[in-house]
Amino acid sequence: MFSYIARRIGSMIPSLLLASIIVFSFIHLIPGDPAQIMLGDQATPEQVQGLREAMGLDRPLYVQYGRWLSGVVRGDFGTSIFFHQPVLHVILDRAETSVLIAVFSMMLIVLVGVPIGILSAVRYNSRLDQLFSGLSMFFASVPTFWLGLNLMLLFSVMLRWLPTSGFPSILESGEWSNLRYLVLPCITLAAPNSALIIRLTRSSMLDVAKADYVKTARAKGLSEGAVNIRHIFRNSLISVVSALGFTFVALMAGTVVTETVFSLPGIGRLVVESVLRRDYPTIQGIILIIAFLYMVINLLVDLSFALLDPRIRYS
Amino acid sequence: MNRMRTILLWSLCFLVIAAGAAFAAEKGGVLRVAVIDEPPTLDQHVVTSDLTTMIAQHIFEGLYTFDSKYSPVPLLVKSEEMKDDGKTAVLTLREGVKFHNGKELDAEDVLASMERWGKFGARGPVLFSNLEKVEATGKYEVTLTFKAPFAPWKNLLAFMNGGPVIYPKDVASGAEKTPITPEQYIGTGPYKFAERNPGRYIKLVRNEEYTARTEAADGYAGKREALFDEIRFIPVPDVGTRVNGVKAGDYDYAEQILGDLFDSLKEDPSVVTTVNQGANQGMMFFNSREGVLKVNSKLRQALQAAVNMEPVLQSAIGPAELWKASGSFMPESTLWYSKAGLDRFSANNPELAKKLAKEAGYNGEKITLMASTSYKFHYDSTLVIVKQLQAAGFNIDHQIYDWATLISKRGDPAQWDIFFTHHGFVPDPILYTFMSESYPGWWITETKRALAAEFAGTLDAAKRKAVWDKIQALVYEEVPVMKTGDHFTYDIYSPKVQGLSASSLIWPKFWGVSFGK
Repeated sequence: MFSYIARRIGSMIPSLLLASIIVFSFIHLIPGDPAQIMLGDQATPEQVQGLREAMGLDRPLYVQYGRWLSGVVRGDFGTSIFFHQPVLHVILDRAETSVLIAVFSMMLIVLVGVPIGILSAVRYNSRLDQLFSGLSMFFASVPTFWLGLNLMLLFSVMLRWLPTSGFPSILESGEWSNLRYLVLPCITLAAPNSALIIRLTRSSMLDVAKADYVKTARAKGLSEGAVNIRHIFRNSLISVVSALGFTFVALMAGTVVTETVFSLPGIGRLVVESVLRRDYPTIQGIILIIAFLYMVINLLVDLSFALLDPRIRYS
Repeated sequence: MNRMRTILLWSLCFLVIAAGAAFAAEKGGVLRVAVIDEPPTLDQHVVTSDLTTMIAQHIFEGLYTFDSKYSPVPLLVKSEEMKDDGKTAVLTLREGVKFHNGKELDAEDVLASMERWGKFGARGPVLFSNLEKVEATGKYEVTLTFKAPFAPWKNLLAFMNGGPVIYPKDVASGAEKTPITPEQYIGTGPYKFAERNPGRYIKLVRNEEYTARTEAADGYAGKREALFDEIRFIPVPDVGTRVNGVKAGDYDYAEQILGDLFDSLKEDPSVVTTVNQGANQGMMFFNSREGVLKVNSKLRQALQAAVNMEPVLQSAIGPAELWKASGSFMPESTLWYSKAGLDRFSANNPELAKKLAKEAGYNGEKITLMASTSYKFHYDSTLVIVKQLQAAGFNIDHQIYDWATLISKRGDPAQWDIFFTHHGFVPDPILYTFMSESYPGWWITETKRALAAEFAGTLDAAKRKAVWDKIQALVYEEVPVMKTGDHFTYDIYSPKVQGLSASSLIWPKFWGVSFGK
């Protein structure tokens, strides 16, 4: 098992290197000049060229990449062109919001999605199942910006219970009450993802319920509850855990619409804004970290399979 | 008699206490301003971003500024003296003006700032190419010597956007091409830079040591009074969130709201709308360096003749109160307003367009028109324009990019024939980008050069206006650029904010503004 984990971690290095080369090449292939964007529409060509030189953007691409990579190896991801701050600092600052959103949204998704999915499967084709199926279809298909703006209208503008937007850092202020800023974004994110987990849990359980060993368990006289939980639910968990793992990473990295609607300083918005600003060091830094995160979550998901299914062995 | 004196004394005490209480109530609080994005820097010398200017004007000040009629008036300057038939300007600075680091402003700071702006600034070269020298001729005296009389100098010094604000000498002389850092955001303004928290806010705090001018406030000029303890500029990219945020009390002011919402917000008692006086102008630049439109004024006139700007503006902007199909480059409120050449503006005459195109030798060659989706009204405007041009028989290749790609591509004359952009209000026509020979479009003709030189060298206001009339007429004849019209952005704010009015200046300012009593 340990040699398997070590091998997987070792294989991450070439993958990350490849990802960094691809991202670096692609972002530099897109037309657009960070110096021009920073200086604005009316900057003179001389002014733009001067800033390009000062930022080292006039150097050959392989030189720029080499300098960036040697910095990364030493833990220096460079300096953000737009923010004039170390990229790692900018990313870590945004990570606070993204991690909290991902964790709280995941809790909501699991707490709502899995039990309702089980209930729908157990009460297959009942009115309750039809109701949950209808609701999950609705929340899975509703655009997040629409849901977010309507929640904001109801809970912030009309009832004035929750703030519309922004997120003051808890790490800086120590104010845990700032979590109230995340309530609406987490509900907005959890709603469609819970709906997907409901449907996935339900369909996985219904698939497993047809298996011979479930029939055998029932024939042995096990109670319906024990059959549902110990045999059906546990064996259907593999696909659910796998989906939850990737949902977590997606929540960390790709919640750009929700972050924009609620004006949250998260990673998703940072990625999009950095691309529009052609802030090369920030884009490269984020992509590398997200790629690393994907690999780690993937490994954890794979390892969890062994816990869920004793037949799976890693060597 | 004694009783009367006692009553008077008590009345006086009451009035003093009441006045003090009223003042105390007006001063204080945190103003939260929801802005559309984050500025790349607050270094006013090098960037022309409106957002940078909106924030930076509270921190930094220049030698001159504009009053409400956009006339240049002194700010850090006390007085001026013109010598040598307009070739020398001797500026005397106000004494006792302190920077935010406590140092007193003097001529060395002005000299260092001017030199840095002239060398690396966005608009500095326009002035410096006409200057022979700038000198500190006394502790509080700066002398500008021009190569020849140069009329727009004061407008250039007063224009805040990409303008010559004054930094302390040790900041300005050490700064070069790259923007100065937040630790160097030291100005003389009514608010001081306090903190930049990326993604969250830029925080300014009141400058308690501010030495305000004594004249009554008028536009950006006169007495500037910082009444808020703090101003936070918070990036809120989604317009719906900016509106909901003001309604819910999370923000006090929100900029750049959608035209579609104007009518409903105007009637909404929970917010106040304020329309920006400084009109933006949609502009289509024609490629004078390469391609089918190069040195082909007749074909450009044909394109101009085909277009009707009213539906363009209606579609792109919305309510009629927010746009004006005006072809004059300078607004009616300024002395520069001109009707020269306007018979060619928004002609809406496809038949004339076809005739002119035929005379120009146009045979259906592809005309590449680039626009950006990053500004919604750019894209919306060109959708209608392209339809109109196609209806008049032009073969238009409508290419859509994000803004960063578009401004990169427009630098290469081989890649486009027309590109769409917009231009903000400028107080002197010399600041129009089409007046520059290096701006993409590259409008360089002998007639233009001669008129531009005459325009810069004429000091008499009436004569300058006459030259500007000729230049505008030339623009409609040679068509280096086609204006689509004026459009006015609007902002909203909470009714508790006092001191703002139904219309705002080019960049909303928050000195002299408070939460009221």
